[in-house]
Amino acid sequence: MILLSALAAGLLAGLVWARWQGNPYRAPELQHLWLVFIAFLPQFIVIYLPNLHFSNRLTAGFLLASQILLFGFAWLNRRIPGMPILICGVALNFAVMAANHGFMPISPQTAGQVVSKNSLLDVPLGSRIGPKDILLRPQDTRFEWLADRFLTPAWFPSQAAFSLGDVFIALGAFWMLAKPGSPVQLINRGTQK
Amino acid sequence: MKNKLTLLAFSAQKINRQHVQLILVIISLAMLVIGAGAPLAEGGVGR
Repeated sequence: MILLSALAAGLLAGLVWARWQGNPYRAPELQHLWLVFIAFLPQFIVIYLPNLHFSNRLTAGFLLASQILLFGFAWLNRRIPGMPILICGVALNFAVMAANHGFMPISPQTAGQVVSKNSLLDVPLGSRIGPKDILLRPQDTRFEWLADRFLTPAWFPSQAAFSLGDVFIALGAFWMLAKPGSPVQLINRGTQK
Repeated sequence: MKNKLTLLAFSAQKINRQHVQLILVIISLAMLVIGAGAPLAEGGVGR
């Protein structure tokens, strides 16, 4: 999972930097944490629960609603370093998904680089592929430049296609955890000189 | 001795609270990036 890799890399960079500086690690103090749990719930239900099947329309609605709530959470925490970059990514992904039936468009050419050609033969154009994507030709895609069109390099452990919004989200998450100068300290709060 | 034990207990309690907070922040960020991001990964096809 490329986005979780960015998160892990950011945390590692932050820990190494803090140790190098001889300071305790400072994690971002996120506010309204409850909101992110509420926001994630709709897509957890429609995507990650294996025994439940929902129509594409309902799934798209849940996905978009979830993203609006996640945007709200990010906006409430916009003063945290890195969060403005992440907010841009959330907005870009929301825009392209909302404009393409509620799912992230991916072209057959790009999808063919990630999944096997045989699997792709079973997926007609306009159908869902993966948890959040929809297979669309570039000419049928709105905001095609925001679609899943980039590929991880060959040396990367797992192949994935990602969007410009995903890049911003990964950068923002990395920055948030890697930058030691977050406004409020979680560690040793009140004991720092 | 009693003071030292109290201090130790207080420190342990503080560390635990800090760790819990850090874990909560990381879990929240993980949900945020997974929820907002939409990459198509190898093996992610099937649903």
